[in-house]
Amino acid sequence: MGDLTLYALAVFLTLTAPLAVGLLMGVDRKLTARMQNRVGPPLLQPFYDLFKLLGKERRLINPSQAYFALGYLLLEGTSLVVLAAQGDLLVVFFLSGAGSLFLVLGAFSARSPFSQMGAQRELLQILAYEPVFFLIIVSIGIQEHSFISRDMSQNLIVTLPLSLIALVAVLVIKLQKSPYDIAHAHTELVSGPLVEYSGPYLATVELARWAEIAVVFGILTLFWNDPEPVAALLGKMVLVFAALFTTLVIDNVTARLTRRRMVTFTLSFGIALVAANIIWNLYLGQGVGI
Amino acid sequence: MKSPWILHFDTGSCNGCDLEIWALLTPKYDVERFGMVNKANPKHADILLITGPVTKKCEERLRKLYEQTPEPKLVIACGDCASTGAPFMDCYNHNHGVNNVIPVDVFVPGCACRPEAIIDAVIIGINKWKEKAEAMETNVSHEDKIMPDDSPRSDQ
Ligand code: SF4
Repeated sequence: MGDLTLYALAVFLTLTAPLAVGLLMGVDRKLTARMQNRVGPPLLQPFYDLFKLLGKERRLINPSQAYFALGYLLLEGTSLVVLAAQGDLLVVFFLSGAGSLFLVLGAFSARSPFSQMGAQRELLQILAYEPVFFLIIVSIGIQEHSFISRDMSQNLIVTLPLSLIALVAVLVIKLQKSPYDIAHAHTELVSGPLVEYSGPYLATVELARWAEIAVVFGILTLFWNDPEPVAALLGKMVLVFAALFTTLVIDNVTARLTRRRMVTFTLSFGIALVAANIIWNLYLGQGVGI
Repeated sequence: MKSPWILHFDTGSCNGCDLEIWALLTPKYDVERFGMVNKANPKHADILLITGPVTKKCEERLRKLYEQTPEPKLVIACGDCASTGAPFMDCYNHNHGVNNVIPVDVFVPGCACRPEAIIDAVIIGINKWKEKAEAMETNVSHEDKIMPDDSPRSDQ
């Protein structure tokens, strides 16, 4: 591929990925509704929500709230650009991680107890998924002998099946699904870190969240590669839908667990899964599937 | 307007109307069909569903919730209590309806009001939304409005 097509592809992916995630959120709400025997909202509902929020009055608790929201969007956007340009996965990871911290800072900047508690829980969530997410990327790097996503050529789903399972756990937390919707806990914290945001700034944070989730899905798509572009695309899409469906089923059959159990679960089982996969590949065999 | 987010507030009702509002969220009525979601947060809400005759104790809270809701916003008074205070007529401790505290856009009659009637009221409200949005264009500034929070710090 020439440089120019690569750039064009990167720009295209960066712009469309958050919108695709918005659509996936619509699918998510529709499927959840069907699982609960309801009709559910239209597929484009997340976009209706976003546009409505953009048209509302601009209100803030303090000026820094706005900067934190924009910082969140900017960092997640940059992370997505690096991923779409098939760049370094470690840079993607750290940019996205820094973005989540901006969300926490934004929540801490408001004095409301709900917002404060939401921020602390968001920090706990970051503590729970970030090490696992990092190790997953390390396992990809070890397997492919490179962190540059342009160089990825293997079918990691065969060689790193346990990392893939751990990634689903990360996805559950990032998508704010039960049993780990600790920060957004709508029944007790209303909406956690988002509680003091309103109108266009809530829309900004929501868009940043879509970009953040797009990054996770983007890394998920690296698990499927095929020399044939159409087969590769289809495989990647199937992978994304399968992961989303799994998180939805988990969401609908579980109740929220405590924050301590979330941290112990991800830090023990999550890390153990990825570590076992790495050790197996490096020392015990030439890959699980081979 | 395809995404009315809701705040439900009970200002001293007998809970009859509240149950009917909660019925909206069940599979039978499923108001998420219209994009309606119960947000339980005035800062995210577009439509305030108020029940009860507004007791003197609740008055200040209701006013605050109304102020915290960003424009454009709609207020729907659910039930006879919220509309006129009739079921608690001659009581000394309430305001005889939401309209005496904050401006109401749609009244829903009934003791208790039917869920179908509340859905109807929301649809009527949504039709008013455009007017509201236009009024906001002229009345509300497009600058950021800083509204400091006066709630106590969680660490105090
Ligand atoms: S209108 Fe009737 S049912 Fe509704 S809150 Fe008042 S007394 Fe209860």
